[in-house]
Amino acid sequence: MSANSPLLLECKGIDKNYNGPMVLANVDFSLKRGEIHSLVGENGAGKSTLIKIITGVTNRNAGSIVFEGQSVPVEHNKIASERLGIAVIYQELSLIHGMSVAQNIFLTKEPLFAGLPIIDINKMNRLAQEMIDKYGFDLRATDIIDKLPIAQRQTVEILKALSNKASLMIMDEPTSSLTSTESAQLFKIIRLLKSEGITVVYISHRMEEVFDLSDRVTVLRDGKLVTVLEKEQISPAEIIRLMIGRALSEDESRHRMVKKEGEVVLEVEHLCCEGKLKDISFKVRQGEVLGFGGLVGSGRTELMRAIYGIDGFDSGRLTYLGKNYVPSVEKSIAGGYGFVPEERRLQGIMGGISIVGNIGVANLDAISNSAGFVSGTKEREKADKAISLLKVKPANPDVLVGNLSGGNQQKVVVGKWLIRDLKLLIVDEPTVGIDIGAKEEMYQTIERLACEGVAVIVVSSDLPELTRLSDRIIVLRKGQIIKEFAEGVVTEEDVLRAASGIVEGGTQ
Amino acid sequence: MKATNWRRLIVDFRLFGILLLMMVVLSFVSDRFLTVDNLTNVLWSVCLIGIMSVGAIYAPITGGIDLSVGSIAALSGIVANVLMNVYGLNWMLAIFITLGIGVLIGWVNGMVTTKFLVPAFIVTMAAKTYLFGVAMLVSNGDQITIMQPKEFLIIGVGKFLGIPIPIYIMIILAVGSHILLKHTVFGRQAIAVGANEVSAKLSGVNPDRTRIIVYIISAVTATIAGIVMASLTQQAFAMNATGYEFDVITAIVIGGTSLMGGNGSVTGALIGAVMVGFINNGLNLLDMPSSFHPIATGLVILIALIMNQGFSLPGAVKKVLARFRTAESLK
Repeated sequence: MSANSPLLLECKGIDKNYNGPMVLANVDFSLKRGEIHSLVGENGAGKSTLIKIITGVTNRNAGSIVFEGQSVPVEHNKIASERLGIAVIYQELSLIHGMSVAQNIFLTKEPLFAGLPIIDINKMNRLAQEMIDKYGFDLRATDIIDKLPIAQRQTVEILKALSNKASLMIMDEPTSSLTSTESAQLFKIIRLLKSEGITVVYISHRMEEVFDLSDRVTVLRDGKLVTVLEKEQISPAEIIRLMIGRALSEDESRHRMVKKEGEVVLEVEHLCCEGKLKDISFKVRQGEVLGFGGLVGSGRTELMRAIYGIDGFDSGRLTYLGKNYVPSVEKSIAGGYGFVPEERRLQGIMGGISIVGNIGVANLDAISNSAGFVSGTKEREKADKAISLLKVKPANPDVLVGNLSGGNQQKVVVGKWLIRDLKLLIVDEPTVGIDIGAKEEMYQTIERLACEGVAVIVVSSDLPELTRLSDRIIVLRKGQIIKEFAEGVVTEEDVLRAASGIVEGGTQ
Repeated sequence: MKATNWRRLIVDFRLFGILLLMMVVLSFVSDRFLTVDNLTNVLWSVCLIGIMSVGAIYAPITGGIDLSVGSIAALSGIVANVLMNVYGLNWMLAIFITLGIGVLIGWVNGMVTTKFLVPAFIVTMAAKTYLFGVAMLVSNGDQITIMQPKEFLIIGVGKFLGIPIPIYIMIILAVGSHILLKHTVFGRQAIAVGANEVSAKLSGVNPDRTRIIVYIISAVTATIAGIVMASLTQQAFAMNATGYEFDVITAIVIGGTSLMGGNGSVTGALIGAVMVGFINNGLNLLDMPSSFHPIATGLVILIALIMNQGFSLPGAVKKVLARFRTAESLK
């Protein structure tokens, strides 16, 4: 540790187990004043647990924590940590809907009329606006939270932390739902916080961000400290190597080989849906990965929902396996579709029930007899098969899916389709919020399916992902197909230009 | 054995343990308690709540609730009596038609909940009110004594091998409901809808259809309870089952079923019903005034809920101490 900058936080020998295997073993973690410190590791490496221990959400089994020179007791709790000046900018935002920006910032510490238990609303709004102006944020104190985009809500969270005089801000995947412009804005704010002497712990799966921002990087793997990298040692490839314990092979990051043309699985002709989709036509073939690019709100998700049969459409024609097809979810599933929705937690998993339950629901036809009785044995066989196919961890079919890491939850959502006679798999943002190792596994799964002759449609905002996986890419803009890129000729830049409406020779 | 099954079993066993404990305590309190006659009486007294609970449990499993079961039961008794003793229908046909009306009521509850997107709480509370009104209307608000047919009256008071027939009905329905929940496609679908409706829908479950069936099951078991009640009390009266819906929910909740949906235990609900029976029986044996019954029942619900949240006294004491120590260290 350098002596010139006194430490803000020092954790030594932290152990944690949740009545089972060690989640953290003898981990040291230290933060200097006013640094941006990234904490990286695959899902399940122990990042979240370490943060929970620092913020007092959970208690450590062993080890010591010193914050601002004060020793933090084992029986630490969240309120005490906030009082110490530790703030977490949550991944799932914790603001109160229906309230204004100022009300959220000053929640539980509202300025009062002298001596009266009545909130001085004008003063509260003024103080909030002063803070906003001081940092130059694009916000009004009286804005209602619900009307703000996610990025601005994050800003409110940061303001709230600032008003609590936080000296440490922990940001867990803050950019996972931001556009690139919004992310850039956030980085500016983070650097501003740094210049104010505030320490920021930054957790992200996006290596470029970690590389750009960090003064130091702590790498965790399997609950152990791997190393702490100093500024000059940081490179994305090195971090990835340390995180997964091996380098990504050339093979894993290269585009798949071109294959011969298969039968058309699904053909969409002139699909229209008032206000959402305009005259969409495309084909997807056996063994092909068809990518859909475009900005959020360009109609990609709406198109997927329409062809899966969740939402209806106004006009147009679908041909599935050579037959005219009017989609409904039940028919689609019976006919060999699989669908992995955009929002894993809200639409994908059933967190409160087991892996068996989650997988069983999509396979009720295969595990029951004609009288409607479910065979417990068959149900477990199916679950075990999905677990072993995708290497779900832990490989215990009775674990509640809500307790799995993001990557493993996604494996369950995908896995329930893989044990069926799958002909068409639709995946919408398949790797949002999952770590690099699980991402790579997801890519390999998709590629393997394509090799087995399944037609795969991938919707993604992650351009490297889209170009890596897709044989062809269709870019949507405002509900219309704006461009189709054939095999092998597409770069990330091309897709981005098309999605933003910049076509050769000018703006559309 | 699988981990979750163990957990489930421990929860069920914990309930069973509490039940046994109650029995031990009550047998010390009164030497009349642990007799075959008294225990049969307890089961008999809880059989109406038991029958309703094992059917109504599907509403909370899917994240809903059914508050109309009491009114449905009262109305069924009245309707069955009118069909038999006013229109002179054969008792079996009368029961059959009454069950049909039960199906219809459940279907309406389910349709309004799913198609018009009104919360089940409101829909079934409204049903509770208007069905009570219908029951008053049909019976003129009278307390009608049912004298015949004899076959009908046997349902409630008859015995087989020394055990009252309603107890058999309760046990058969409980076993059926348990199998339906744990071993059928419908049971899986109901749990999935309660756990995450969107996800269930994307996996091919039809949440609306599932919910409609759920409210039909609930209404049908309430109808059966109403028929048994009419036969047992030899009475058709609109006020007969007032407030039963709360006893039913009590039994379900004590049994460990979450009102948030996604899980449920039929055995638990049955044990819950028996517990409520024991409490009332114990208070009777102690000659306590009847006003103590709701007080005791209310306290038991609270305790059961707190225990289902994983509360333990040593843990709570530790937490309070920790908070105190942290506060000290911050001074």
